[in-house]
Amino acid sequence: MFSSVLVANRGEIARRVIRTLHRMGIASVAVFTPADRGAPHVREAGEAVRVSSYLEIAEMVGACTRTGAQALHPGYGFLSENPELARACAAAGVIFIGPPPAASELMGDKLRAKAAAERAGVPVVPTYTEEQAAADGAGYPLLVKAAAGGGGRGMRVVERREDLEAALQSARREARAGFGDERVFIERFLPRARHIEVQVLADTHGKVLHLGERECSLQRRHQKVIEESPSPVVSPDLRSALGAEAVALAAAAGYVGAGTVEFIADYEKPAEHYFLEMNARLQVEHPVTEMVTGLDLVEAQLRIAAGEPLGLDQADVRLSGHAIEARINAEDATREFLPAAGRVIGYRRPRGARVDDAIELGSVVDTAYDSLLAKVIVHGRDRPVALSELDRALADTAILGVTTTTGFLRALIGTEAVRDGRLDTGLIERMEIPAGPAPAEVARAAALISMKLLAEQAADDPFARADGWRLGGRRASSWWRLAVGGDDALEVELGGDEAQAAERSAPDAFTLMAGDQRREWIYAEQGQVLWVSSDGWAWPVRHREADQADSAQSSGEVRAPMPGQVLLVPASVGETVQAGDTLIVLESMKMELAMTAPVAGLVAELSVVVGDKVVVDQALARVEVNGSR
Amino acid sequence: MSVLRTSASPASEEFLANQRAHEGLIADLNAQLERVAQGGGERARERHVARGKLLPRERVDRLLDPGAPFLELSALAAHGLYDGESPGAGIITGIGRVSGRECVIVVNDATVKGGTYYPMTVKKHLRAQEIALQNRLPCIYLVDSGGAFLPRQDEVFPDREHFGRIFFNQANMSAAQIPQIAAVLGSCTAGGAYVPAMSDETVIVRNQGTIFLGGPPLVRAATGEEVTAEELGGGELHSRTSGVTDHLAENDAHALQIVRGIVATLAPRAPAPWPRAPTEPPAVDPRTLLGAVPSDIRRPYDAREIIARIVDGSRWQEFKELYGATLVTGFAHIHGHPVGILANNGILFSESALKGAHFIELCDQRRIPLVFLQNITGFMVGRDYEAGGIAKNGAKLVTAVSTARVPKLTVIVGGSFGAGNYGMAGRAYSPRLLWMWPGARISVMGGEQAATVMTEVGQPETGAELREQYEHQGHPYYATARIWDDGVIDPRDTRDVLGLALSAAANAPLADVRYGVFRM
Repeated sequence: MFSSVLVANRGEIARRVIRTLHRMGIASVAVFTPADRGAPHVREAGEAVRVSSYLEIAEMVGACTRTGAQALHPGYGFLSENPELARACAAAGVIFIGPPPAASELMGDKLRAKAAAERAGVPVVPTYTEEQAAADGAGYPLLVKAAAGGGGRGMRVVERREDLEAALQSARREARAGFGDERVFIERFLPRARHIEVQVLADTHGKVLHLGERECSLQRRHQKVIEESPSPVVSPDLRSALGAEAVALAAAAGYVGAGTVEFIADYEKPAEHYFLEMNARLQVEHPVTEMVTGLDLVEAQLRIAAGEPLGLDQADVRLSGHAIEARINAEDATREFLPAAGRVIGYRRPRGARVDDAIELGSVVDTAYDSLLAKVIVHGRDRPVALSELDRALADTAILGVTTTTGFLRALIGTEAVRDGRLDTGLIERMEIPAGPAPAEVARAAALISMKLLAEQAADDPFARADGWRLGGRRASSWWRLAVGGDDALEVELGGDEAQAAERSAPDAFTLMAGDQRREWIYAEQGQVLWVSSDGWAWPVRHREADQADSAQSSGEVRAPMPGQVLLVPASVGETVQAGDTLIVLESMKMELAMTAPVAGLVAELSVVVGDKVVVDQALARVEVNGSR
Repeated sequence: MSVLRTSASPASEEFLANQRAHEGLIADLNAQLERVAQGGGERARERHVARGKLLPRERVDRLLDPGAPFLELSALAAHGLYDGESPGAGIITGIGRVSGRECVIVVNDATVKGGTYYPMTVKKHLRAQEIALQNRLPCIYLVDSGGAFLPRQDEVFPDREHFGRIFFNQANMSAAQIPQIAAVLGSCTAGGAYVPAMSDETVIVRNQGTIFLGGPPLVRAATGEEVTAEELGGGELHSRTSGVTDHLAENDAHALQIVRGIVATLAPRAPAPWPRAPTEPPAVDPRTLLGAVPSDIRRPYDAREIIARIVDGSRWQEFKELYGATLVTGFAHIHGHPVGILANNGILFSESALKGAHFIELCDQRRIPLVFLQNITGFMVGRDYEAGGIAKNGAKLVTAVSTARVPKLTVIVGGSFGAGNYGMAGRAYSPRLLWMWPGARISVMGGEQAATVMTEVGQPETGAELREQYEHQGHPYYATARIWDDGVIDPRDTRDVLGLALSAAANAPLADVRYGVFRM
């Protein structure tokens, strides 16, 4: 076995690999870019080498020779499937922990991979030429894919023939930009499909095993969101069939190490399945396989790379129970999953779950890298138990300072479709994204927490403790103006005795009563912003005066500010306008003066036409706020 | 510096009796406050709310910073006057924090006779302005008033301290850079129109606030012109045409938001004249105050029992402990503010008066606010004392009290009789604020003594009448109804009330002292 291994990656996977290295008594070497100087993987590794980028092959190999690392683990993403890295390693006498370059090159080329699968007897999706597709020789919908692609880039679904040409062009553009290879191909598209993949292990002694399947149908824009093993719809027979196909392909490709053969399967009849691609690396979702098989896949990779034979036979591989992984991303599910950034100012990891995470308290999350912050993995006796464990674990997870998908994930696993295992790759796109608890509830919690914090900090200073002090021991209502997330400020009234509805439950949490419901709220303060989190949801809350205080509200009436002549009337009666839209243009004192809508609404009156002379303060127009009057 | 201890024993019969007696008085006080807080009664409140208006106390709550304390002033003004028609004198006044600034807030209660000004309403309004002036606190007027209460025009209109003085004060405070802000949330008629008009910046609520010198009926009578209130003096008119108001609000809540925004634009307050230390609760449990202090003002006790329960950490540095022992003087902190406390431990002798004068001079030199805990039957009488020059020595105390530039705060915790009231910063000596405990009494002398004097001069019947009259007129409710004080307080609120008042007092810079300390 190696005595020292370099991990050419960052984030949760670097930490996860380092954990196994240390458990096996192997020294670890991390790499880091200047921005990652303070990242946890750097501190956790025995040694760390600065690189200019995680994509620099020469620097990675150089770091190995400099530190005496005998092998290099590439993790996933970055250089993991780049055969050049494997070659450079070989040239420098460093063992690359992964398949031989020929195998990864084969699998990296979608077209060649597909041909290899076909030869190995694995069912493949029917492919069409551009001419066949254009000639309607294939049934739509079709899928345009980049030959060198992955992760959904360069991929286009084409519903109708008319859209084919545009899809081909844009897929080529994206493929060229993303992979420097603009080749694309067209294949049959299953409108409602499951994503099922098989984990394989192949040693250098010719043995290839499969470790059962993972179902990863819960995806958003081709990015996996929730993964589980086993699949709720794969029977033992189908498992054997899928496994045999995966093993046959790996063997035919001369594959070595851990790899994943991905299939697309029909939603209703999963036995009808096609080869999708083979990933020549460790997958993000590998932990669910580890949980049901009891194997450490990183350890297996290391042993295979060190030339050891797989110490088990296919019959020894048994799947026990059910494992599910949820990916917590730095994204705002309520705003189209926009990437989120910030500093982690509060972090509570769930108990009783495996958490492979990239962050810790104080971590800065920016949008330069992958948005994956943490994977929460649970294992249960069966699927319902695992689902409820995952729900509990996500509810116990609090990440404050960065908006995450935790609350969304809970909502997702709470849907009937997911509970019943009715999964398909379009499910998330079809579902209504829940907004989480109502802003009013969040604002009330934030107000109570603010009041409690002020009371704690103020000790007995009546001006600072914000408890609505009045003569005679009475406590008056307090009015809090709070903006939740990016929303407008809300007014919250806390009754004089409501402070008692909150009780400190931890150094970073209060338990609040709302009616007869108890709920724990975790908080963290960051300057003027108070982050509060409950049940996996988290929001930044700001103390702010109500927006309407900024300006005296208008009645919607527009009057001439000075005498002049009407130059233009771009608006018309009955038109819907936004505040600030131009209604009338006046010419006055040699200036053009745009008279804009003071409020959003409907243009109710326009009392002038082009050419009219107007006097100062003459009513020109009136906008009615929708629904008023 | 030492830490005061208590000699009261919470299990003793006396302690429990004291506590019961105080609690009885406090329960009555709270009942009175609760009644007054309901304003003009259920029907008037319903009518008010039905117009889309917020009740005056909710206006205060919403105007203040979240959860900020409100030090209400003279809550029981007009108690027992005007046949009970004017609870709280129809106006709410107090000190509270708005957009981080301590302000004096004056709120008409339109549920009480349309918010019209009774004589005590005028006095309460003027007293709030006086507090604003002395402490340099911005004034916020939430106006909703029909103006002077016409049947009592002779008591509210013509004199110096009558209605017109409100505007005189506004002009002069504005000239002294004490901001004047008004929100017109209802009527603002006749003289009342000048409150917003005399303010630096004014908000009005559309279709609710009106400002005019003469209302529609008066206009019709005078000129025959038919005009609606809104046309005559509504928000649209004053915000667009007359320019009397500067901001147009949709409703009460919006108007209060705008006021908060205005306060946020004010120039910063003057730096506090004294440093503030971190606050800490008294070491002696303040909740035991009621048992430790007799409610019967004739029963002597050590004033340090009060001090131990109101000062930070019960820490106390006594001055001249061995001299003039009937006046206790010393240094402490209340809610972090340094204070010099003068408290009576019996009648004032020459020595006590000299000690008090000396101590006040020290505090004045050192920029330390003064707190008077008043429980005094008067100065010692008799040949030896007169010969010892007690009149002259008492005068020194009164002079020191009168001329000290540091803020004075007075709490009448027991008796406040005769010249003792003067020497201990009674109302005439312009303490920044003055409160009474519910068991206190105030009169030129005790009823008993007055009766005795009359009997001595051969009028025993008058003496008996006087005793009754003094008992009645010396009661805190009688006093507070007439605004001889700034409120009757639960003794357990004393520490917080003083802390809030000190915080407010710290808004006004201090003038320089021009003399050294005269040793007495």
